[in-house]
Amino acid sequence: MNSASTPAEDLGGPRRRRGLLVRLLEGVGAAVLGVFRAWMGVIEEVGRAAWIGFWGLANAVIPPVRLRLIAQQIEFIGVQSLPIILLASIFTGAVFSLQSYRAFVTFGAQAMVGGTVGVALTRELGPTLTGLLVSGRAGSAIAAELGSMRVTEQIDALEAMAVDPVSYLVKPRLVAAIVAMPMLTAIFDFVGIAGSYVVSVHVLGLTEPEFMVRLADWVDWEDIWTGLFKAFVFGLIMGTVACYKGFYTRGGAKGVGIATTTAVVVSSVAILVANFFIAWALP
Amino acid sequence: MSGSGSASDFVDPVTGQPGAIVYQGVHKAFGDHHVLRGLDLVVPAERITVVIGRSGTGKSVTIKHIMGLLRPDAGHIWVGDDELTTMSDRELRHIRLRFGMVFQHAALFDSMDVFENVAFPLRQHERLREAEVRAKVGALLDAVGLRGAERKIPSELSGGMRKRVGLARALVRDPAYLLYDEPTTGLDPILTAAMDKLIADTQRAHPGLTSLVISHDMHAVLSIADKIVMLVDGRVAHEGTPDWFRQSDDALVRQFLSGSLDGPMKV
Repeated sequence: MNSASTPAEDLGGPRRRRGLLVRLLEGVGAAVLGVFRAWMGVIEEVGRAAWIGFWGLANAVIPPVRLRLIAQQIEFIGVQSLPIILLASIFTGAVFSLQSYRAFVTFGAQAMVGGTVGVALTRELGPTLTGLLVSGRAGSAIAAELGSMRVTEQIDALEAMAVDPVSYLVKPRLVAAIVAMPMLTAIFDFVGIAGSYVVSVHVLGLTEPEFMVRLADWVDWEDIWTGLFKAFVFGLIMGTVACYKGFYTRGGAKGVGIATTTAVVVSSVAILVANFFIAWALP
Repeated sequence: MSGSGSASDFVDPVTGQPGAIVYQGVHKAFGDHHVLRGLDLVVPAERITVVIGRSGTGKSVTIKHIMGLLRPDAGHIWVGDDELTTMSDRELRHIRLRFGMVFQHAALFDSMDVFENVAFPLRQHERLREAEVRAKVGALLDAVGLRGAERKIPSELSGGMRKRVGLARALVRDPAYLLYDEPTTGLDPILTAAMDKLIADTQRAHPGLTSLVISHDMHAVLSIADKIVMLVDGRVAHEGTPDWFRQSDDALVRQFLSGSLDGPMKV
């Protein structure tokens, strides 16, 4: 064995360099693996959420129908959301006509207020704001209720009693969400336009024909159907996300809190993203 | 024997009774965590079997297998004449209809009152007239000492009352097998004794019933069990009658019964 060695080798120089290289590669590997695992986690979450949405809807046509539970949920998601939807729609319509009047009046086009508000409400503001408001009110409650049922073993108890928890808990909420959301949106559209009418005609001084003619000219059935279709999709998103987050809650009271918050955040963001793509895809 | 046959083909060596539920070489792992490591167990028909063991030894996993909530990685499980490992999910759901389960924290539906909680399995699986439902639920609430509490909601009940409602709900469809998951956890000594008595009374009132109890409550184990099974590391370490356990010199048994920190089981 050759005993001649350089001072650098004696000090462990190449070994230290090799160690650095290995650590660098380990770091890069760990980062790549971390990103890969994060993506796998996202894909797994989306897959499980899609499964619960699909199975919940598929169950809608599989007996038992559970009409009473569906009606209860429509009452909770739909009827109990009415006060907030009425208030929000009146003031949305009112403020939109106020701001658009101020812009249009500078070039004498204030007669466009009715049409502008009508199109904006039916195509965009009605379904989107309804989706966001219902996510905040009913989506959070659904996630919290199912989450607390999970952590107190009530969902396990359903399974132990040979009752499919997806059919018993998820289906009624999902069906109610996709039924109630378009109805609430239609109410939002109508009341929002009514609020706009009151402000335009009775506060800003437009004549009734000025407001109504453009409204009738510009808003056609396609705008209304597009908005209602969006509301249907938003109902599906809100119901699926809230049920999924609640159904798979882990970790006691803290887990219920996290499930509730993420249900609202995820469904709100998903509604805004879906809104863009639907608007892009539809004429 | 593998795959075919019936649980009654096995005879329990402790009680001499035919088997009602049988595990043979059952393995179950969650990732790297190997929970059941070749579990062989005969649960005797029409008797109370109590499973003891430290937390994490696979007691809850054992129960979840016979309810079809988990599938074994290897081995066979018989419930009556049915071998579970080859069954579809739908068939497993049917198996659950034969079971009643009393949960550790009762797991009552907090959106329903006591009456509706107990009536729930009947409403889901049987088409009875309302009068029949009332009669059946009323009789069970009588049996568990809760007549008059029908319209209370679970949050208005004490821990002991909730567990008794849970027992009434588990019994309402006359199950062949009754499972108790730590039925006395969280109860004071008096309520614990009352619950133990209720378990023994329930068994006497339903002679065909096979009961499987998971418990840490050694007093109950020794007073109500016909057979005690001690699980250690996912296997049966000891099984015997309460008298055998009382007299055993085995270090594991002595340590568990005395609740001592000194012994073969480390914290």
